[in-house]
Amino acid sequence: MSGVWRRIIALAAVIGVSVAAAWVFEAVLSVGAASPFGHTRYGRAVGWLGLAVILLVFVYPYKKRHAAERHWPRGWFRVHMVAGIIGPFLIFLHSGAHYHALVPILAMAAMVIVTLSGIAGQAIHAYVLRTLHDERRKLQQSGLCELDIETRLHGMASQEETFRLWQPVHAPMTLAFLVLTALHVAGALFFGGL
Amino acid sequence: MRYHPLPITAVPIVAMATMVVVVWIGWGSWRHPAALWAPGDLSRYHADIAPCTQCHEAFRGPSQARCIVCHSNRYFERRSPAASAALHRDMMAQRTACSACHTEHRGALAQITNQARVNPHGEFVFLATGARSCSACHEFGARVADRPRLKDDPLVTLLRKAGGTAHQPGKMAECLKCHGTGQNEE
Repeated sequence: MSGVWRRIIALAAVIGVSVAAAWVFEAVLSVGAASPFGHTRYGRAVGWLGLAVILLVFVYPYKKRHAAERHWPRGWFRVHMVAGIIGPFLIFLHSGAHYHALVPILAMAAMVIVTLSGIAGQAIHAYVLRTLHDERRKLQQSGLCELDIETRLHGMASQEETFRLWQPVHAPMTLAFLVLTALHVAGALFFGGL
Repeated sequence: MRYHPLPITAVPIVAMATMVVVVWIGWGSWRHPAALWAPGDLSRYHADIAPCTQCHEAFRGPSQARCIVCHSNRYFERRSPAASAALHRDMMAQRTACSACHTEHRGALAQITNQARVNPHGEFVFLATGARSCSACHEFGARVADRPRLKDDPLVTLLRKAGGTAHQPGKMAECLKCHGTGQNEE
C-alpha cells in the first residue's frame, strides 16, 4: 500500500471516528431527556457556535480576494482549515444522528460535501507541492541548470490544474450550504421561537 | 491579482441551481411542510393536525394559546380524572407553557408527557385482572412524580384475596409467572 493510500485511509478513519464521537456524545446528552440535545438551550447554543466557527472560514477567501496585492493570507488559510473542521464537528454534535426534516438534511449534506472537497483540495495541493520539491531536488542533483529545472517544473506544476476538479465542487456547494443553512436557521426560529 | 473561486461563466449556473433549490423548498413548504421542516413525526395523538401553525406561532414556537384551542378547561373536565383537570386548570391560569411538561415530534408511538407514567405490569395485567384502566386499582396524584396509591375497592380486595400473597404491591409485575401459559387460570 502506497503512502498516499495510507494517508487517505487514516484521514477517513479520523473523520469517521470524529463524526461517530460527536453522535455518541449527543446521544449520551439526549438519554432520558424530553427533547434531543439539539432542541435544548445548550444544543441550540452549540449550533450557533458551530455556525459562528464556520463563518470564520470566509475571512480567508475575502482576504485572498481583496488583499491579494499585499500577500497571501497564510494565517487566515490556517484559520480556514481549522474552522472548516471544528465548525462541522460542532454541527454534528448539535444535530446528533437525528435526521428527519429535509432542509437541515440538505444543509448537512452540503456542509459535508464542502468539507470533504476542501480536505481533498488541501491534500492534493500538499501532495503536488511535495512532489515538486522532490523533483526539484532530483533535477538539482542531476546537474541541470536552474533555467532548465524551472522549465521542467513549470510543466509539472501546470498539471496540477487537472487535479483542481475539487474546486468547482467546493465553491458552488458553499453557496448552497449558506442558503440552506440560512433557511434552516430561519425555519428553526420561525417554528421554535426566537 | 484578484481571486475568483469559479470561472465567471459558472456563476449564473450556480446562482440558477441555488434558485431552483430555494423555489423547490418554497413549493415543498406549501405542499409538504412536515417533510421539509418537522424534526420528527407527530405522535398518534396529534398525527392529524395540519398545518404547523395550528400549534406553532410564528417566531414564538408552540404556545399555550394554540394548545388550549383544543385542550380547554372543558376538555379536561370532560375527559380527564379530576386531579388532572385541576392541575391543567392551574397551569392554564398560571400561563405555564405546555411544553414544560409535554413534547412532540418524537414519533408516532412516543409518550408526549415528560417522565410519563409507564405501566410497570405490562398490558397483560388488564387481561389477567379484568381491570379496564390503571385508575381501576390505583389512585393517582396530580403530579407525575407522585407515587400512585392502591385503592380500597372491590376489585383490589378480590385480587388480594384470590392471589394470596402473590397479589401484593410489588408482586403484580410478575403475573406472567403464573398467568403466562394459561395453565393456572382456572
